[in-house]
Amino acid sequence: MNKRKIIEKLMLGVISTLAVISAIPIFAIMFNVYAEGLKHVNLSFLIDLPPPPVGDRVGGIGPALVGTFTLVSLAMVIGGAIGFFTGLYLSEFSHTKLSQYTQMFLQIMVEFPTIIIGLFAYTILVAPIKRFNALAGGFALSIVIIPYIALNVREAYKSIPYTLKEAAFSLGVSAPVAYLRILLSTARRGVLTALLIGMAKVAGETAPLLFTILGTTFTYFGGLDQPINAIPLLIYNFALSPYERWHQVAWGAAAVLLTIILLIFIVSRLIVKEVKL
Amino acid sequence: MSSGKIFYNTLTFLVFISLFIVIAVVISLSVTSYPIFLRDGLFFISKSVWNPVKEEYGILPALLGTLITSTLAVGLATPLAISLAVFSAEIVPPRFRALINNISDLMASLPSVIYGLWGLFILAPILNEYIMIPLHRYLGFIPLFSTKPVPTNLFTASVLLAIMIVPFASSIIREAYSAIPYYLKEAAYSIGLTRWEVIKIAIGYVKSAIFAGLFLALGRAMGETVAVAMVVGNIFNLPKSLFDMGYTIPSLIANQFPNAEAYNYMVPALYGGALMLFLIGLVINFFGLYLIKKVMIKS
Repeated sequence: MNKRKIIEKLMLGVISTLAVISAIPIFAIMFNVYAEGLKHVNLSFLIDLPPPPVGDRVGGIGPALVGTFTLVSLAMVIGGAIGFFTGLYLSEFSHTKLSQYTQMFLQIMVEFPTIIIGLFAYTILVAPIKRFNALAGGFALSIVIIPYIALNVREAYKSIPYTLKEAAFSLGVSAPVAYLRILLSTARRGVLTALLIGMAKVAGETAPLLFTILGTTFTYFGGLDQPINAIPLLIYNFALSPYERWHQVAWGAAAVLLTIILLIFIVSRLIVKEVKL
Repeated sequence: MSSGKIFYNTLTFLVFISLFIVIAVVISLSVTSYPIFLRDGLFFISKSVWNPVKEEYGILPALLGTLITSTLAVGLATPLAISLAVFSAEIVPPRFRALINNISDLMASLPSVIYGLWGLFILAPILNEYIMIPLHRYLGFIPLFSTKPVPTNLFTASVLLAIMIVPFASSIIREAYSAIPYYLKEAAYSIGLTRWEVIKIAIGYVKSAIFAGLFLALGRAMGETVAVAMVVGNIFNLPKSLFDMGYTIPSLIANQFPNAEAYNYMVPALYGGALMLFLIGLVINFFGLYLIKKVMIKS
């Protein structure tokens, strides 16, 4: 073997090793979360109120689960709708100045630190009524996903062949029917993936919720104008608390959250796979 | 009005809402933080003091903490991200490629609070025991390692951030790498180059994409809140070594904002920090997007 061959073997080995090293954390995280978390998870863990910091009561994450479900629904209804139609506009009317500016702004906003959005939601919806509330959290999460969904929906509509668009309009149907029934069924996988990715993102977001929903409430749901809890926020608060009991609940909640994210991720991958066949 | 017209107007209205929200966020940051800049000017950025009782705020330590953790994270992530991208696009057998890309994408979509939880209870003690304490013991004379380490500090935050941004940066690099025209690689092989030499050429070819990925990752690392807040130590002092407990701007906001309303200038100070974060992020992301655009035009 000459020198070049040896260097080749060496460098390929280095690259492969580094690649393997960079993949270790994901397996370590999944292993640790399930090893520490699953032993606390059962049906009553999903339903019960969180336990007091000391004592024997096992407790659960019921309110946080309800809260996350509420917040994700709010974000998907508000942010999903605005994001979807914005993306549709960006793709189909891309020649307008409005479209160009909006796209530029959304591309910047996609990388916005989400804590800034939390501050914004606080200014708009919490400070005026002087009470943390579910709506503010849902609003903040909506802002987080609007750019994600808009930019991905734009890609989905952009990928429809031009001839298909012409064919749709040549049927003589109105624009809403053409865009929302005919062309949407062509772009549905891209759109669905965009919505699912947005959903996974908001289900795990913590920073926008820090100043909007309070999170320490022990009620399940008291209305959109009342404080609410969420699983990511519960993990954050409980993990930073000094109580061993709450750390265990945080691990259990993390196992639940990880499962939710994994399920959404797998479904979105199956959809993408289907589109390639 | 025809249904087409109504549809178009509704669309335009919703687009305006999206646009309006972005602008409103920036305006709200500027307006709320205005008093602190009016009172302290640039001292707000260049001073190191956090004394709510005396209403004195200077965010230099948090600013430095943000810059230190994010650049160190990108530094650590760079070789890993490039290797992961090259490994998936070039080295691994094609039938495993999708699997590796899926794992990498899954990593990118894990909630940061899970990274934070793991970082706090698993990563931090391991780093402390096997890396930080030995470094301090044997290389403590170097100022970077001079502080006696505790598990949560700037270094732990940097390592956790690096782990979090690797898949993100790597996916951008991977996309550019797979878009390299095959005839380019064939030409390289045809003159008898080894695989490593071809990879070297290919990496040079996607240089801009690599920089773009790293810049966007830098922006992400700077804005990351909860994961960092959980492992950075959250102590307000000017960092003297990597093993100091510290603050970053997002973690400062996360920790201090809940009691900010009790003081006159703390809310403006924290919004001022957010504004600085936004402006730095804006420059970095603009540059990253510009590089990506350049890559896309090239391919």
